[in-house]
Amino acid sequence: MHGYVFIVFLKIDSYRYINIMYVFLLLLLLLLTFISGYTIYKRRVEGNKKLWQQSIALIISQAIFFTDEEDGGVDITYRIEMLLQNSMFRNCVINELIQAKKNLSGSSTLNLKKLYEILELNKDSFKKLNNIKAHIKAKGIQELAMMEQIKYLKPIFRLTNNENELVRNEAQCALVCFYGFLGLRFLNVTAYPISQWQQIQLLNKLNEVKPENFEVIKKWLQSSNESVVVFSLKLATFYNCYDVYNNIITCLQSLSLPIKLNALEYLKKMPKDDTAEQIINHYSFENKIYKLAIIDALKEIGNENQISFLLKRLHDKDDDVKAAAAKCLSCLHPSGSAFLQTHLFADENPWKAIFLQIKSERAA
Amino acid sequence: MTILVAEDDMIMLKTIELRLKKDGHTIIISQDGREALKKIDELSPDLVITDIMMPFSSGLEIIGAVKKRLGKKIPVIVLSAMGQENVVLEAFQLGADDYITKPFSPNELSMRVKRYTSNPVTI
Repeated sequence: MHGYVFIVFLKIDSYRYINIMYVFLLLLLLLLTFISGYTIYKRRVEGNKKLWQQSIALIISQAIFFTDEEDGGVDITYRIEMLLQNSMFRNCVINELIQAKKNLSGSSTLNLKKLYEILELNKDSFKKLNNIKAHIKAKGIQELAMMEQIKYLKPIFRLTNNENELVRNEAQCALVCFYGFLGLRFLNVTAYPISQWQQIQLLNKLNEVKPENFEVIKKWLQSSNESVVVFSLKLATFYNCYDVYNNIITCLQSLSLPIKLNALEYLKKMPKDDTAEQIINHYSFENKIYKLAIIDALKEIGNENQISFLLKRLHDKDDDVKAAAAKCLSCLHPSGSAFLQTHLFADENPWKAIFLQIKSERAA
Repeated sequence: MTILVAEDDMIMLKTIELRLKKDGHTIIISQDGREALKKIDELSPDLVITDIMMPFSSGLEIIGAVKKRLGKKIPVIVLSAMGQENVVLEAFQLGADDYITKPFSPNELSMRVKRYTSNPVTI
């Protein structure tokens, strides 16, 4: 009896085992089919791309040498015309045009723009602009900006205040590409913070264009958006704007540390006779980072009038402040670091260690 | 004048080829450094235009090979996106005759090539 039950149990168990195996094999087969199908598809796409590149290179290189007389004189064969119906091919042409535009300068770039418009690739880029996915939207903006499609300014301007950072950043860069300094008018309306990286990107783009109408910086310095104020301070420093000096002195009263630190950077670059005194007027109400930044700024814009202020800082309870003040004194005092040795506590620690450190630094 | 152009970007290669052909030059093209070195050996061009970043052998290796190993009096123009001082200096130290940074104007390249047509380099 027991043996019979065992055989029945074994039979049921082996059926189940076989079923599980079947399911597993079926899944494996499906997976292998998917992998091989995807590999074939990818290879075909790559193969197509290589073939397409020859045709694309031919169209683009011909277009680069357009002259006014032969406007639109690209030799578009029937095959290329057929290929241009394929959105992937059109996308490839856009990518290659952008790459070529990056590598070329002079009249050739105008011809690339002309080709982009003749093939109506701007419509493809505009379609991307209206896509729901942020990265596709950003790609569309980038393409339109690279190809200087100013007629799409309105929809791009709206995107400068988009909730997605990637889209917003691309739209802001596009505006600067189109209009240079004037393109920064999005700063009037932007509600989102401008990241440090984006600020660098924008300054990098502005490096290539000449500045105009600095008056508008005064308005941005009063923005309720902290990052707009920080960026305006960077702009003022970047362009050496002397006209905004008084507005920047007002920024020293801000509650925001990044604003105050960037205002200091401007003042270090564009000081007036009384700048050092104006800075130290704010010293006692500040936190350690800003206090150290003030002392550091005095190294560059200070004079003998600030020596008494710095001597007091030598007795601050914080050793970092003591060290910063000592360094600054060694720069501003006519006797240099030798002056520190005459200090009352020159033989006592921590002053002794700090002074020795400064002496060795200056000797090096 | 027979000019060898070594450039891995197909569009740039075609552009340079078209521009220099318009000027009446014979162009040999190559999409990688190894092929370029082989063609220099076999076909002895009168001038070499090379990119720096290329598969198999870099443009710097091509300059070195043309100027030292092959001992040929062939002028070399470097055309590269790498504008860093150390790379430019290295190219000139190896014997490059000219250095153009991308983005570049094909018309400017044509003018520079013309200088070598009228005043061949003597080493």
